[in-house]
Amino acid sequence: MSKRILPIWAGLMFLVMLISIPQCTFSGDGRWFNIEGQQSALDPKGPIAQNQADIFYLILWVTLFLFITVGGALALAMWRFRERKGDDPNYIPPQSHGHPLIEVGLVVASAALLVVIAIPTFGGIILKKQVPVHLEADAIEVNVTGYQWWWGFEYTEHGFYTANEIVFPAGRAVKLNLHANDVIHSFWLPKLAGKVDLIPGQVNTMWIKADEPGYFWGQCAEFCGDSHAYMLFRAIALPEDEWNEWLERQQRETIVGNGDYAPVKEDIEDRELVLKGAELYAQHCARCHSVDSRLQTMGPNLAHFGSRTSIASGWMENEPEELHRWLKEPHKVKPGNFMWYGFPDPSDPSRVQMEGLKDADLSDSEVDALVAYLYTLQ
Amino acid sequence: MSSHTDNDPLEELKKTSTGVENKKLAMWAFLASDCMFFGTLISTHLIYRKVYPDVEDVIDIFDIELTGFSTFILLMSSFLMALSVSAAHKNNLPSMRWCLGGTIFFGLIFLGCQVYEFQHFVFDKDLTLSSSIFGSTFFVLTGTHGVHVALGIFWLGSWLIYSFTDRYKRENALDVEVAGLYWHFVDVVWIIIFTVVYLVEYIEF
Amino acid sequence: MSSHHSPDSAAAHSEPTGLWHRPLKKTGWVGFLTTVDHKKIGIAYALGALFFLLVGGVEALIIRLQLMVPENELISARLYNQLFTMHGTTMIFLAVMPLSAAFFNYIMPLQIGARDVAFPRMNALGLWCFLLGGILINMSWFFDQGAPAIGWFAYAPLTDRQFSPDIGTDFWIMGLQILGIASLVGAFNFITTILNMRAPGLSMMRLPVFTWMTLITSFLIILAFPAITIALVELMFDRHFGTYFFNVDGGGKPILWQHLFWIFGHPEVYILILPAMGIISEVIPVFSRKTLFGYPLIIFSGAVIGFLGFAVWSHHMFTTGLGIVATTAFAFLTMLIAIPTGVKIFNWIGTMWGGRLRFTTPMLYAVGFIWMFMMGGFTGIMHSSPPVDAQQQDTYFVVAHFHYVLIGGSIFALLCGIHYWFPKVSGRIMDETWGKINFYTVFVGFNIAFFPMHILGMTGMPRRTHTYKEEMGWAEPNFWATIGALMLGFGILSCIIQMIYSYYKGAKSPNDPWGGRTLEWATASPPKEYNFAYTPVIHARDQVWEDRHGTPEKRMDKIAPDPEHGIHMPDQSWWPLITSFGIFFACLGIVFFRYEFTFFGSLSYTNGIGLLVVGLVVTLVGIVKWALEGPGGYHLYPDAEDMEEIRQSQSKN
Ligand code: HEA
Ligand code: HEA
Ligand code: HEC
Ligand code: CUA
Ligand SMILES: [Cu+2]
Repeated sequence: MSKRILPIWAGLMFLVMLISIPQCTFSGDGRWFNIEGQQSALDPKGPIAQNQADIFYLILWVTLFLFITVGGALALAMWRFRERKGDDPNYIPPQSHGHPLIEVGLVVASAALLVVIAIPTFGGIILKKQVPVHLEADAIEVNVTGYQWWWGFEYTEHGFYTANEIVFPAGRAVKLNLHANDVIHSFWLPKLAGKVDLIPGQVNTMWIKADEPGYFWGQCAEFCGDSHAYMLFRAIALPEDEWNEWLERQQRETIVGNGDYAPVKEDIEDRELVLKGAELYAQHCARCHSVDSRLQTMGPNLAHFGSRTSIASGWMENEPEELHRWLKEPHKVKPGNFMWYGFPDPSDPSRVQMEGLKDADLSDSEVDALVAYLYTLQ
Repeated sequence: MSSHTDNDPLEELKKTSTGVENKKLAMWAFLASDCMFFGTLISTHLIYRKVYPDVEDVIDIFDIELTGFSTFILLMSSFLMALSVSAAHKNNLPSMRWCLGGTIFFGLIFLGCQVYEFQHFVFDKDLTLSSSIFGSTFFVLTGTHGVHVALGIFWLGSWLIYSFTDRYKRENALDVEVAGLYWHFVDVVWIIIFTVVYLVEYIEF
Repeated sequence: MSSHHSPDSAAAHSEPTGLWHRPLKKTGWVGFLTTVDHKKIGIAYALGALFFLLVGGVEALIIRLQLMVPENELISARLYNQLFTMHGTTMIFLAVMPLSAAFFNYIMPLQIGARDVAFPRMNALGLWCFLLGGILINMSWFFDQGAPAIGWFAYAPLTDRQFSPDIGTDFWIMGLQILGIASLVGAFNFITTILNMRAPGLSMMRLPVFTWMTLITSFLIILAFPAITIALVELMFDRHFGTYFFNVDGGGKPILWQHLFWIFGHPEVYILILPAMGIISEVIPVFSRKTLFGYPLIIFSGAVIGFLGFAVWSHHMFTTGLGIVATTAFAFLTMLIAIPTGVKIFNWIGTMWGGRLRFTTPMLYAVGFIWMFMMGGFTGIMHSSPPVDAQQQDTYFVVAHFHYVLIGGSIFALLCGIHYWFPKVSGRIMDETWGKINFYTVFVGFNIAFFPMHILGMTGMPRRTHTYKEEMGWAEPNFWATIGALMLGFGILSCIIQMIYSYYKGAKSPNDPWGGRTLEWATASPPKEYNFAYTPVIHARDQVWEDRHGTPEKRMDKIAPDPEHGIHMPDQSWWPLITSFGIFFACLGIVFFRYEFTFFGSLSYTNGIGLLVVGLVVTLVGIVKWALEGPGGYHLYPDAEDMEEIRQSQSKN
């Protein structure tokens, strides 16, 4: 085996990888990966994410420059001073001990490059913390609460709750107050802003803004137990008129009588099925959920559930088969899920405080009824 | 090499590059580390005091006269400790034994006060590990210190007993000194704890 | 070699001081279990660490296989969470740290011309605590719900009894406590040894860089470990006694755990890299045939890195809502670390510049280290900018960063050290061709595995997720990462096999196969029990190089041992082993404190307190007996060959 081929081969592999960075970065369609992927931080759609991507690129260029110069010097040294065939094996190169000027020069140069990075960094810290004055006036405010493993959103100005899909007007700042119900979670919408943690016992704040209307994916970014990987969510930025419409719909009454289930219209198809679903809902679900958007509950608020695009906190699309799968065996979708096992008693986790569906033993047809009912919640 | 080496294998190890004996140097390193242990515990306590200033009526719980007394006793024990080290170096065994005994005795009084204090807090004042965050940080901090004192008493006690055997040699003065370093350190830590955990509670702002 | 016990020390042995007579046997199980020889202890550390490297590696490979394709169902979510928790814990505490400790143990005393460390029995205690700690943590796999699933930094309140009622978490807590004891006693020992037991003439500014880094690392250990020890105690109290340190219901602040953990955790990562940098600083001059460029600056920057390491912990907490001032301060301090680190890199290149480079396997790893560590360092600089980190924190970008510094850095350097010092330890040399093949497999496999993770991170893949949706567009890089990981695993496995093979069958090596510069190369390979037959008197920084090429006045002097009493060596002892078992059982007792559990499905046991008491008693007896026994000692006489060497060197001067 020729020993010369090895380093050349390794060098080539490495080079290919290096070349692939700019290649991936500049080709929007992405040969190697999709830069416009659902959660790509390199495809910013709001001012904060934009700022963060800009600083990222700045540091990338600075360090790439360093990599090329320092690495170039290293490569040059490796090449020029290597022992060649036929060299005197006892040759002793001149011994040098160090050179203060070179050292100081390099230290100063490094420090200078760090200053280049530090200044925009400071700008970025400020931007992320405080809503700029010109956006302050028409900003809206939402309380976000992280639960194992879903998200609650409370629109404080309007006094209603929703879950797992945060909706807001495009072009306006959204101030978020972050709470956590149990353990630490982290609110992250890569295309709009970097993450901020939701920590129990403290309230963090952040703000986001989408420049254009759009549909965004977000994900919990702090390990929070068994189903952390399934703790996604969606964000929807609407044009002003649709936003108002949405607001209006969320505040519409969904409750009838003193039972906690939605009105079932007379003219509906499958009325029998829906009515059965409503009954099952009252029996099995209402203890954790509510279809009244004004109530905060232990499980996600289900008012207007039919108009949501995703279920199981963004892990599945809101389609009848998926919903069926979820209701039948939620623990198979999200392991450890409280909807199935029930809520444990905080003081003694081996006991259940609020029973889950484990013991409800829903049949397929019962689930179908529930599905039919849930979709009437528009 | 003198024939001394055979009797005292430590002799060879004693010739050190810095001139400080190995055991002493290691003890200093340990104390540096122990500073960080107590630093962490004290910080925890102070942070929670600051966050929850009103979680317990602390002044009502504390018995500053008793704690002040036990602090004084511990300080005095340090004094006796210094005397025992000095006696050990002079190989004045009877004096060393008396002073060591005194140190241990004072240490025991301190521990006794702490045990009394703990049971008083728990049974009369309803302050327990899980009664409030103050209880948690207070007991774990002062308890850790108490364990240090207890270990110190055990250590000094061992030397006291050892000094009555014929295995005790002049060279063991170093060991007594090292134990003394530890004792002084534990004492200093208590002064800090007494100040920041007890005394500051009495400052009127 | 004539090993002989002088009459009076034999008399000392027959004194009825122990339960048993003091162990004298040098070989077999007794020899191994009671050894106090820093070289044997070093080898035992290395074997333990390599074993755990394979364990952690297998865990990593299962992780990679699970992530190879989207929505894979190879393993369950919980198992995945346990795997990355145990993988991180194992690699950091049970593989890299002890492997560094192996080099500290074996090489450092040789480099300073000492016969052993300052406290040989304490050294043995460190070894046993390491092994038993590793066992304790891994025992969790066999109980109830298995290993902990909390992540290697175990953020509160997920670790509260309420959210992690399983016993695995308690195993993790107490296992780390034992490992902390191991690290601490080791560090006290090394500090004392380096400061106090240097050969005559070996001033601090003549110390080999590896020894310097050992010293700095030891200081980091003694100052950083207390923070996590106390944090773990507080957590243990929360879980067992209902305190509220991190329990939100009682007012505890989860953020406190993060501060305490990272005050330890950040210095910890420098504990992992400084020994590596020490190794690199030894290897590059040897294979460049030049003295280290800017020696004082390399030492100084090592110290500055260690010092700054205590001032930057909150860069792991940029997303926790710290204030603007704190965030900015921690960001800038973090950036500052680039400077001393850069100084080291510049000086390594300066060393190579104008030298005569021989690309042996150790040198390849050393140069590979510089390349890879530079990349890891640069991504570290990206993290140090909070706005950028807001996007990168808890994504695969961080995973890429730390594997570049941990594998491309620490592991590369440790493999470098293994190849470099292997002839010294075994008297045999590892095969060069195989060494190169392994290096390139590791190097290329590593890059294929971890480079794509930068891209994954920037396109939004969070870490610690056992699965991901197809439409995220992460399938391809993940696939390649898995292929690369398999290649890397293959390379490392092949390295280890190569090592074992060479130990028995490798070509015989001369005492100094590389043209070494530091003192360890002046003695036999493998070194005799007493390391050096003579007391070396040092006159220069690269003493062995000067002996070969320098002027006569810089040559080492050798003081012969007293012909009558020979060389004094410490005695073996059972007590470190027994004490460590006491500690082990005490910790096990605390683990079992609150539980009724099933072991392999049936047996149940709840008497934690009993076990705790037994453990404490054994520990106490161990310590008392240890103290009463004393270091002991016996005398060795260098063999004729060694004496001849000394005579010759003396007649030359
Ligand atoms: C060996 C271990 C090691 C080392 C050496 C480092 C080195 C560095 N690390 Fe890393 N780090 C880890 C191990 C390590 N890290 C681990 C394990 C984690 C994750 C823990 C977890 O979450 O699980 C982590 C996470 C981590 C974070 C948190 C990320 C997050 O969770 O959001 C940050 C943030 O600042 C960071 C920064 C740095 C910096 C600035 C350095 C610097 O020391 C790097 C300095 C080096 C260079 C910069 C290259 C060479 C320099 C030059 C050529 C000079 C010129 C350069 C410039 C002027 C820029 N690291
Ligand atoms: C020094 C530390 C170190 C080392 C060496 C490694 C080595 C590797 N790590 Fe590391 N890793 C961490 C420290 C380290 N890791 C830490 C701290 C974390 C964070 C944990 C957390 O989030 O809590 C982490 C997390 C982590 C993740 C992220 C998990 C997640 O967030 O979901 C991944 C994913 O790819 C990964 C992969 C690997 C791989 C492929 C290797 C490879 O290098 C492994 C190479 C393989 C081998 C060495 C095995 C060789 C053996 C065989 C081929 C089989 C032999 C079989 C027998 C003998 C029976 N690691
Ligand atoms: C013990 C409490 C509990 C009961 C009973 C319960 N749920 Fe749930 N439900 C939850 C929790 C908790 C979640 C969030 C789970 C997750 O995403 O991890 C949830 C999630 C859901 C979701 C997905 C919500 C979204 O926006 O993603 C639907 C739909 C749902 N439940 C419907 C039902 C129906 C229908 C029933 C009755 C048959 C029911 N639940 C019974 C607790 C409960
Ligand atoms: Cu919530 Cu992860
Ligand atoms: Cu760090």
